[in-house]
Amino acid sequence: MRQRALIAIAAAAALLIAIALSLAIGARTIDLATVWDAIVSFDDTDPEQLIVRDLRASRTLIGVLAGAALGVAGALMQALTRNPFADPGLLGINAGASLAVVIALTTGFATSFGAQVPIAFVGAGIAAVIVYAIGARGAAAGAPVRLALAGVALTALIQSVVYAVLLVDDATLEQYRLWVAGSLTGRQASDVMALIPIVLIALVAALVASRQLEAVALGEDAARALGVRIGAIRTVVILIVTLLAAAATAAAGPIVFVGLAVPHLARALVGASLPWLVVVSALGGAALVLVCDVVGRVVAPPSEIGVGITTALIGGLIFALMARRMKVVEL
Amino acid sequence: MRTLTIGPLGITTHRRTFAAGLGLVAVLAGLLIFALTAGKADITVLDSIKAAVGISVGAPADFIVGQVRAPRALTAVLVGAMLGLSGAILQSLTRNPLASPDFIGITMGAGTGAVLTLWLVTATSLWITAAGAVAGALLTAGVILALSWRRAGVVPLRLILAGIGMGFVAQALTQYLLTRMDVHDAANALGWLVGTTTGRTWTHVTVAAVCLAVLGPLVLWHARALRTMEMGDDAARALGIHVGTSRGVLAISSVLLAAAAVAVCGPIGFIALVAPALALRVTRSAGATLIPSALMGAVLLLAADQVSQQMPQALQFPVGVFTAAIGAPYLLWLVWRASRGGPA
Repeated sequence: MRQRALIAIAAAAALLIAIALSLAIGARTIDLATVWDAIVSFDDTDPEQLIVRDLRASRTLIGVLAGAALGVAGALMQALTRNPFADPGLLGINAGASLAVVIALTTGFATSFGAQVPIAFVGAGIAAVIVYAIGARGAAAGAPVRLALAGVALTALIQSVVYAVLLVDDATLEQYRLWVAGSLTGRQASDVMALIPIVLIALVAALVASRQLEAVALGEDAARALGVRIGAIRTVVILIVTLLAAAATAAAGPIVFVGLAVPHLARALVGASLPWLVVVSALGGAALVLVCDVVGRVVAPPSEIGVGITTALIGGLIFALMARRMKVVEL
Repeated sequence: MRTLTIGPLGITTHRRTFAAGLGLVAVLAGLLIFALTAGKADITVLDSIKAAVGISVGAPADFIVGQVRAPRALTAVLVGAMLGLSGAILQSLTRNPLASPDFIGITMGAGTGAVLTLWLVTATSLWITAAGAVAGALLTAGVILALSWRRAGVVPLRLILAGIGMGFVAQALTQYLLTRMDVHDAANALGWLVGTTTGRTWTHVTVAAVCLAVLGPLVLWHARALRTMEMGDDAARALGIHVGTSRGVLAISSVLLAAAAVAVCGPIGFIALVAPALALRVTRSAGATLIPSALMGAVLLLAADQVSQQMPQALQFPVGVFTAAIGAPYLLWLVWRASRGGPA
């Protein structure tokens, strides 16, 4: 218990460092004293403080929201499906959200960000139900690989429909190709403010549900004996995952592998306790997205690499290496 | 024995397989004639065929059939055959019906290589794009192999997982390249990335034909080894197959076939997955059936291309959208069936 609390505190410290880096580093590096001044004693005549306040603060906020949401969504999905490869990006849930957003953009149905969020939620929800229906039978040997393949298939299907829509509509393509690269800069700070309560509520709900979900992970009979309503808790968890994935996708575009890698690292640190896993995954996910974003800002000046690309590059390699270490289960 | 031996070639085949192959050839021929004649212009069947093979029959037909319909249809046939062949080899080598170059990163790697050439070289020739696609595919395949290699050799399942991971890496690189291009080039690259047969010329046909002419015989030369290896490496060795050499040649051929297909038409999905499975159904064969898989791939892609052309104006999407619409539900069904304890 005390060790886990220490690890959570360490994760929080890592997040704080990542936030500081995200505020300070970029096309123009700003020293930390100025960043601190911009937060506590803001001087609107200083251009560097303006950069921190106007550009980097909203970008950092989006990164924290998306990263925490994805980390927790991944932790919950891995527990729910008992599948080490569960990740909202890998399984097509983010793709479902992006398809819904693209359709909304091209039909002019939802030009404002406020209207896109519920649409992304519907798209993510449909994809989540499809993938869960396939991946839920987690007990059989080889199921993890099948779930991953199901996600790839679903993503490929959704992707081709997205391309079809984009090919007809150049204006949507222009917005989409920047958005799909997973960018923390594409949104107004005021828009993202609307997401804060959604993500916070979902995170708290995740924490509350995690105890019962943990009981389900022990086995259905054991869970029933402990008085857990299995069907209800599964439905609630799918809802939370969908909400988190949709909010992250709406804020930052489809980001893969954060939901996969972070819970794995967290599990190595805090063990199987799901409530602690949720806490550490939230902190770690936020830190990872911010670090990836900062890396993307500095590796190819003067242009930047979208955070979705950095995470896919790093995460894809982690995934491939995980496959190398995995014990062989024949499909 | 219900088998058939074609003397000089030394090919032994089951009657059922042979009959199915003939049937597929007939379907393919019918589809080809339809592809050459169907359309708004009023051209007779005979004139279409003449124009397609290069006999001049007058102004509109020479252009419409000779320069537009014929190269497009032939490209679809050749690329479909390459995809079917590539998928059949990979599925047999990995002994897994879910393995297909589209999902284990090969196609994505080829796409990244090709987009890189589109970005680097402004006036691209198809041969340069093809070279880029082949380089990308080989590099990706090499990394996947290295990642899934253990002392005991390559474990198929690990190969698939490593491939999925590398597919994401390749896709991320492609998306990065897309953000670096100007919007016009990006739109072009995107149109190509979804897989299309529109606007294919005789150059495309030539590239595809050359690749198939080189790789096809090479693969068929090792067809017997492929089928024997399905019984296990030891059995194959006992029957005098050089397992290591054959597997290497076949795997590289499969990667090259997929890369060539990507170079010509972009990454058209799902043909490599579906064609071998359907070919197995039709031939009721117990093992890999290379020629029927190639024929089935050609039939599927040409048919999907015709469907995409006959759609009303608003729904004229690239053919890749249609193959995905058929193939993705099939893959999901395959996965779902496997997860219920059925044969994977």
